Amino acid sequence: MKPPRWFRWRPAAIVLGLAVALALLPPVARISVYTQNQLTLTFVTIAAALAWNWLGGYLGQVSFGHAALFGLGGFVAARLQISAHLPMILAWTAGGLVAGLYALAWGHPTLRLRGPYFSIATIGVGEATRLVCTYWDWFTGGSSGMSLPVTAGLKLQLYWYGIAIALVGVATSYWLRRSPLGMALLAIKSDVDAAGDVGISSVRLQDGVLFLSGLAMGICGAFNASYYSFIEPVETLGFEKSISFVFMGVIGGVGTILGPALGAVVFVLVRQYFIASYPQLYLGLFGVLLVLVILFEPLGLTGLSLRVARRFGYRERPDLST
Amino acid sequence: MIEHLLDLTVSAFLLAGLYATMAYGLGLIYGVLRVVNLNHGGMIMAGAYAAWWAHDQFGLDPYLSIPIILVLAFLVGVLTYAGLVRRLPRGAAGGVQSLLLLFGVWLILRNAAYLIFSGNDQTVLTSYSTKALPFLGAQISVNRLAVFGVALVTLGALHLFLTRTYVGKAIRAVAQNPESCTLAGVPVQRIYMLTFGLGTALASLAGALATGLYAFNPGFGATELLKSFVVVVLGGLGSVAGTAVAALILALVENFSILVIPSYLTSAVGFVLLVLVLVLRPGGLFGQRVLG
Amino acid sequence: MSVALRAEGLSKRFGGLKAVDGVKLQLREGEILGLIGPNGAGKSTLFSMLAGSLPPTSGRFFLGERELTGLPAFRIARAGVVRTHQIVRPFAMLTLIENVTVAAVSCGRDPDLGRKALEFAGLFDRRREFPQRLTLAGRKRLEMARALATAPKVLLLDEVVAGVNPAEAQEMTRLIRRARDELGISIVMTEHVMPAVMSLANHLLVLDAGKLIAEGSPEQIVRDPSVIAAYLGKAHAT
Repeated sequence: MKPPRWFRWRPAAIVLGLAVALALLPPVARISVYTQNQLTLTFVTIAAALAWNWLGGYLGQVSFGHAALFGLGGFVAARLQISAHLPMILAWTAGGLVAGLYALAWGHPTLRLRGPYFSIATIGVGEATRLVCTYWDWFTGGSSGMSLPVTAGLKLQLYWYGIAIALVGVATSYWLRRSPLGMALLAIKSDVDAAGDVGISSVRLQDGVLFLSGLAMGICGAFNASYYSFIEPVETLGFEKSISFVFMGVIGGVGTILGPALGAVVFVLVRQYFIASYPQLYLGLFGVLLVLVILFEPLGLTGLSLRVARRFGYRERPDLST
Repeated sequence: MIEHLLDLTVSAFLLAGLYATMAYGLGLIYGVLRVVNLNHGGMIMAGAYAAWWAHDQFGLDPYLSIPIILVLAFLVGVLTYAGLVRRLPRGAAGGVQSLLLLFGVWLILRNAAYLIFSGNDQTVLTSYSTKALPFLGAQISVNRLAVFGVALVTLGALHLFLTRTYVGKAIRAVAQNPESCTLAGVPVQRIYMLTFGLGTALASLAGALATGLYAFNPGFGATELLKSFVVVVLGGLGSVAGTAVAALILALVENFSILVIPSYLTSAVGFVLLVLVLVLRPGGLFGQRVLG
Repeated sequence: MSVALRAEGLSKRFGGLKAVDGVKLQLREGEILGLIGPNGAGKSTLFSMLAGSLPPTSGRFFLGERELTGLPAFRIARAGVVRTHQIVRPFAMLTLIENVTVAAVSCGRDPDLGRKALEFAGLFDRRREFPQRLTLAGRKRLEMARALATAPKVLLLDEVVAGVNPAEAQEMTRLIRRARDELGISIVMTEHVMPAVMSLANHLLVLDAGKLIAEGSPEQIVRDPSVIAAYLGKAHAT
């Protein structure tokens, strides 16, 4: 079987090699449990940041309410594990599917409209979902939350699952950006109507990407619940959660392939070392960084590193231009 | 029961004034610049704190501090445009960037308010805060009436400004076609700046008025931004009458929803209305009009 | 010769205004059909309906035997009717080669058609640049190349000659002729630049206030009194 034209061996090999190396870390290098757990969280954060970017970056439809999908996936998966004793992976899948369908339910109509309607609607979705989930305690356990079953060796298992999820996220990002599909998404982002005039089915593609983003977000939320063996609505569905995804995308580089992954790593580190000491500056810091990045380097860290690389004589290989 | 319904209707009418004021600010900026001012919520919050602070520090009545707040907020808006928004590219990419940029400004304001005033709920209590007047057997609070009155005067003045003055007409012309305006010698950049200032001033006015009705904290404004957007979508862009009717519809639906759904869901009602309108009548209830 | 595109009683109403009123149109295979008329005659509205971006109020249209009425724009494009825009709309975030390749691939054609279309339009050397680096004439050629990359049966050209300098206009006219003669594409074109449309069109339709007021060969049309009246006012028509 021949790989598609857009496939490149080198980045694929690098990413895969990195994943294998990371997977071998706990048994071979005997890293501490603390490091292992931090890495696990980083992996799932990377996947979530990438999933946000599929919508916010590739389609230019910024979501300020992705915590709703993240949280819904978590609650559905948790409820299914607790009440229906569904195996973890099955419950994650179900949580992802529900989150994807939920995204379609409000995203399908609002994505059709020219203008920023989708983005505004996401603010409302985030708020409404948080309210409803806080009060529907038969489903979410209310503000006291719910605890999930803990099994022996779960944390190490989750470490590997986390790598797998991040890997799938990276591969999907490559596919959505580098394949002809990626060009179609950019065409839609440039001019929806003109895209339709040359045969691009914007409805199907936008809905498809929205569903994928919701699915991935839901799975990440479900993973997160399993990781903490606990889920509650206030933090999981909070405004800060939604903003964290926006932040990771923007810092790393909206619309780039791996930028948001970088943004996720930065986010985890920043939260670790800065936010812990100055929790009251959390939002403001995000705000300042957002403004600075948008004004001076809209492609975030990716743009910055490209600039540096160019100074040292690097020339990018043009993507699909043969 | 009848009395209760009357109460709900009257209070909806009075609330609609506030909704229309805050929505008009958002709609004006979007109509002219095609930029959604996500900092709208931030300026509503800032207006509320400004009124509260003036009252708390100097005992200034919130309604008397309004002129000062308007001027200050206007300047903030002008600066926001000149310093930030103007630097963004126009078109598809600029749309996303302006959303993110103004969202960032909102976060900064929110954090600043938190640092200065703490995250606690604040209220403005005046001598007339609890006074009410009888009306058709119902009791109407003085504050609600005053808020309504100020809103009515503001919207009326705005309508006259946009339809009767040269600058107002220029704003409407730029909303329709900035390119031809440039050719016709209208200083488009200055109009943009002015519009951004006006819209921002309206947001903070709404915030200041809201202190008479609600308690608020640094997170105040998020729901209000959303409600403003619902009204803009319902009423179409920039028509004062459309905005007023849409604001009334939202207020009525919210008020009467209390009868059928649990009260914690009322703030979600506006959102459901938004999605319904987007799906059923994307052009707004009255079709699309551009300012006037 | 068989018919490529056919429309019957095509109408579009905006509120009380009839922008297009019962237009009947027939484009024969391998021919260029010119659509002329004063500003506001309804040419662009007619185009938008044929391309599927505006649903007609009434009437039907067919590509060969296949009815296209009511299909969304992307389906009509895939079926083989593709338009260009009077005000060019390149995909600003894609390079030239990507602009055309995405069109080819989206219509299920070989991606190499994109490269060929770019060569045809004389833009291949600049394939890695972004559209905003092109002049208006260049962007108009890109607009045409993007449409050609979908291997259309029928090309709808909306004012592709207007607005560029005479040398560029001549180049564009040559391109359109080659599209018909070498690629065998049937073309409907609206145009304000009369020499271009007169030299290219096999057949002309004249639209005024949404209605078809005349049709025939270019030679017949220039002598038609109703056409002269529509363009210059009644006084000149005698």
